[in-house]
Amino acid sequence: MSTVMTPPESAAAPPSGPVHRRIAWHLRHNPKRELWLAWWVMVAFYNLFFPMFFVVAQVQPPPQPTWDLATQVHWFDERHLGMPIGFGIIFAIAGMTAMNNALIAYSMRRMSVSPAFGYSYLLIYSLSAIPGLLLLCIALVVGTLRPERNPETIGWLYDFAFLSFDGTMGVFLIGSLIWMVAILIDKNRVFPKWFGYLNLCNALTEVVVAPCWIFQRGVLAWNGQIAWWLDMVVFGVYQVTFIVMLFQMIRREDFGSGPLPDLPRKRANAS
Amino acid sequence: MTELTDKNKRTRFVPGQPDMWAFVLFETLVFTAYFGFYLFYRAKSPELFLHGQAQLDLRIGVLNTLVLLLSSWSVARCVQSARVGAYRAALRDGYLTAFLGLAFMVSKVLEWARQIRMGNGFGSSDFFTYYFFLTGIHFVHLVIGFVVLGVLVYQLRSAARRSQELVETCATYWHTVDFLWVLIFALLYVVR
Repeated sequence: MSTVMTPPESAAAPPSGPVHRRIAWHLRHNPKRELWLAWWVMVAFYNLFFPMFFVVAQVQPPPQPTWDLATQVHWFDERHLGMPIGFGIIFAIAGMTAMNNALIAYSMRRMSVSPAFGYSYLLIYSLSAIPGLLLLCIALVVGTLRPERNPETIGWLYDFAFLSFDGTMGVFLIGSLIWMVAILIDKNRVFPKWFGYLNLCNALTEVVVAPCWIFQRGVLAWNGQIAWWLDMVVFGVYQVTFIVMLFQMIRREDFGSGPLPDLPRKRANAS
Repeated sequence: MTELTDKNKRTRFVPGQPDMWAFVLFETLVFTAYFGFYLFYRAKSPELFLHGQAQLDLRIGVLNTLVLLLSSWSVARCVQSARVGAYRAALRDGYLTAFLGLAFMVSKVLEWARQIRMGNGFGSSDFFTYYFFLTGIHFVHLVIGFVVLGVLVYQLRSAARRSQELVETCATYWHTVDFLWVLIFALLYVVR
């Protein structure tokens, strides 16, 4: 039985009239405004994240692991402007990941599972931002902004950046598995079960990345067709899916504790 | 009530949760990509791959395949028994499946150890990179399969929680692991 905290009738319905009045109403009275804020922050983050890495800093797709020191130094030199700008913006927005993680943890708190799932996920993904995002950016920015350093040191930063980013996917693996288990055992129907299994598919690609510590060339190197390109496709599918899933969850949210109701349109179709 | 049951029977078009079939499809696509890369690199250096294949023992591959096919047969028997309410027999077949899966794992670890002793490590040649990668990622799927079998046994052990849908979902996962192995076996051991 769902315990629903229904907002007062007068506040629940948005007024008709000019757009600015409706927006103002949503900002002041919409009971889901915090959830929508978190969702839009997530969308904004990913819309900045990918262009910064791929277009501005131009560090993805990753360069060759086998390059000699002179080529590595040249690679840093070519990006002496793009990396500080791109990663400067990444450093500024990195905190937005806290909102993403909070929204995912919220989805688990809405499930019929132990709160331990949500808290574990929050903790793991908070820590994973360090090896999975910040170390790469810091190492590459240091390499770019200190071109006078010994090429050996620059080469070390090059390896450290990409290995720290690609080789420490264990934290993401466990995070995905936590979300998967929560979805599969949840009785509140917050997400469809297939999305739980998609989490498993994503977790398995994290395993595939690990051999990049061993291989400098071939499909399993950090820029390899399997370790990077294929995993990127899987991650892309997974990411778009989870953003849509969270969107649907917020639309269906009733602030109760029982099963999440279907959207009104689906209910109408079913009857 | 009967009408509702009939309707459910009519609308159920796959065994177990349809959601698991989404996983099967997605994993099949991912493995198709792995196989595609394998075949592409094999076509680029056929001599090297043939030399690598010659060092594998086909008998071990056949044994692995037979063991996994038997495990698929036993998990199918488990589903059949559960469908007719013969839960003791279903449980026995569930344990048999786990035993056969374990036998596969042991033989695979022994084969890996043998190859490493022969000097064929993970990075020794492109063929053995693929060999260890494909058998390794399949092994990870098999390890997850033991968790899945654990769920199956857990379901069957108590009358209070027996869910035929979950039993069939678990069996679907196990068949997927088996199906992927048959393709890996064909590519690594047989196709020359």
